[in-house]
Amino acid sequence: MVMKTLQRVLCLLVISLLFVANSWAVEIRGRSSTQFLWFDDFYNGRQTELTQYLRVAATGIDAAGKFSLYGYGRAGATLQNGDDIYNDDRTNGRLYYLYGDYRDIGGKVDIKVGRQFANLSADSSIIDGASFDVKNVGPVGFTFLGGRNVIFGLNGEMGHTGDYAAGVAMYLQGFQTTDLDISWFRKWDQYDVARDMLGASFKQYIFNTVKLYGNARYDMVSEVFNDLLGGIKVFPLANLSLTGEYYQNYPTFDTTSIYSVFAVNRYKEVVARADYTLNENLAVNVGYTRQDFGDDDSRGDVYILGCTLRPLATLTIDLNYDRRSGYGGDLNGGALDVAYDATKELRLAAGLAYDVYQRDNMTGEETAKNGWLGAKYKLNNSMSASLRVEDSVDKSDENNWQGRFVFDYDF
Amino acid sequence: MKKISFIFLLLSLLTALSVISITQAIADKENHKDYGAMKISECNDCHKAQGITPNHDATWLRSHRLLAERGASNCNECHAQAFCLDCHTGGGIDAQLSTRNYRRDYMPRSHRSDFLEIHPLRAKTSPQSCNRCHDERYCTSCHSRFQGSDLQFNSHRRQARDIPLSSVGPNHANFTPADCRNCHPNGLLPSHNIWASDHASEARRNLRSCQTCHAEGDVCMKCHSAKKDVSGNRLGLQVNPHPRDWGTIKENLKSKSGGRSCVQCHDTF
Repeated sequence: MVMKTLQRVLCLLVISLLFVANSWAVEIRGRSSTQFLWFDDFYNGRQTELTQYLRVAATGIDAAGKFSLYGYGRAGATLQNGDDIYNDDRTNGRLYYLYGDYRDIGGKVDIKVGRQFANLSADSSIIDGASFDVKNVGPVGFTFLGGRNVIFGLNGEMGHTGDYAAGVAMYLQGFQTTDLDISWFRKWDQYDVARDMLGASFKQYIFNTVKLYGNARYDMVSEVFNDLLGGIKVFPLANLSLTGEYYQNYPTFDTTSIYSVFAVNRYKEVVARADYTLNENLAVNVGYTRQDFGDDDSRGDVYILGCTLRPLATLTIDLNYDRRSGYGGDLNGGALDVAYDATKELRLAAGLAYDVYQRDNMTGEETAKNGWLGAKYKLNNSMSASLRVEDSVDKSDENNWQGRFVFDYDF
Repeated sequence: MKKISFIFLLLSLLTALSVISITQAIADKENHKDYGAMKISECNDCHKAQGITPNHDATWLRSHRLLAERGASNCNECHAQAFCLDCHTGGGIDAQLSTRNYRRDYMPRSHRSDFLEIHPLRAKTSPQSCNRCHDERYCTSCHSRFQGSDLQFNSHRRQARDIPLSSVGPNHANFTPADCRNCHPNGLLPSHNIWASDHASEARRNLRSCQTCHAEGDVCMKCHSAKKDVSGNRLGLQVNPHPRDWGTIKENLKSKSGGRSCVQCHDTF
């Protein structure tokens, strides 16, 4: 079903592009990525898949160059699915977006029609519908959007009939050092209102070295601030930034879910972080987060430490370490990623991750190890191929090998 | 009342910041389309001089939400929507060698190590992060096939169903919720104090985890439901799960959902 829909949509796109290409100098650019993946499916065992991605942008469709088409999707077929030889449903697909974009109508309106990613301060969604940006009408601009709410699952779409989303945003426009936005977003679940949210976000630069920012999401059904974020970033030097943040979250659920009627705790966290770029060869970061899950015995502490080294222009080494303790479990581990440009055409890369964790004070410590090797070769300006192989060793698997071979073609 | 306060707060903020900003140099933001191919390290050449610090710094992963969600977001001047969706919905057309994949879906760097192994801890300590990209149905599609008894939660290790009536008696699993009052005429919870307390604490701190396996909440309703069958027998124990301000918000829930959540526990509402 998904495959058929995807095929139809892509055919329509190609046909329409061929049609208009005769009329104007349409520029069509994009990427085709053919991927062969092998991995262990948790339930079905060894699985191999062939997946085809296509991303396309057609611009200059009309004489004024205002109308463009954008599309992105993937279709996949399972070649081997463990012992599950009787399952006929071996295809999967996702159409991420496919929309026409008509910009600057009268210099004041941008319109997008089709499947698209909609993101407002109140909420976000992928919609099959339309969005309108009204701009250059004073110091305030507007966004209106609405359509079918698209939800992706593991193997395809999971939505129902009657799942919709709509939103409105109003934002300051034309101010170089200030952003302010307020918005409303509503989602429907099988024609009933599932979410009704108000949102706001702001950002203000002051004194050339300070940025203040904040974000709030208010759930109009539960009458509570679902998300609240306030932060300050200070840049005492061009290569040093200090961040302080307060964040709280009160979990709310779709009104159509039984979980919307349960009492929950408010989660709070305070973050302090410093990022310093010593020179082109070394950048370091350090941070601390205090987590509070709402009860006296439910706190957590998270420490992070990271650095990026570039001892050679062609060699990049990323090191990240974090340590978490407190309610919810302990985690102590890090990752090392190395990338080396052996030649202009060939990139070699490798990585390691090692984590020691304890999910609960009644369980013992467990470890998860992961290592990978990869190589990417540019065949010419438009084609490249890459191979990546990975192994994980942990409580669930002695050795879990997975990998992918990717062939990319840019047009 | 809270709604009015919130709207008033927003409008006040809007007005105040408008006044502040009008005193600043009013200028349209620079279109960055022509700078899309530049190295991030070169951005400071312009930005520092104008007091606008680059926003693609080391904290970008954490801070980009605010940049992307504002109405006049200029992300699309350099990035196609694929740039967002590859991380948020598992696409992999531009995946780096370091980018991991779980089955056919690609994952951002926050999904370190063997994430299948690590994710219960991450989900328990930062559930709001999961929900920024995953609908709860995404979790359920896998968890619904998982054996609950394998979980390592306090509240799931020993449940009422595993407790025998006596040293030689049958387990509680042999009875239905309608039978509870026969032996516990004065209520059930005191005799299950530890279990009830663990269960309630864990649920309040991370209700989303419950939802990932018990999508329809059927197991919750065994105790929390106030429904009766046609013969008038209780189907649940009427343990009230609602928050303190329930009286002020219940009408909202009822009217928005068409009573879909109410009818699961109540015959009349």
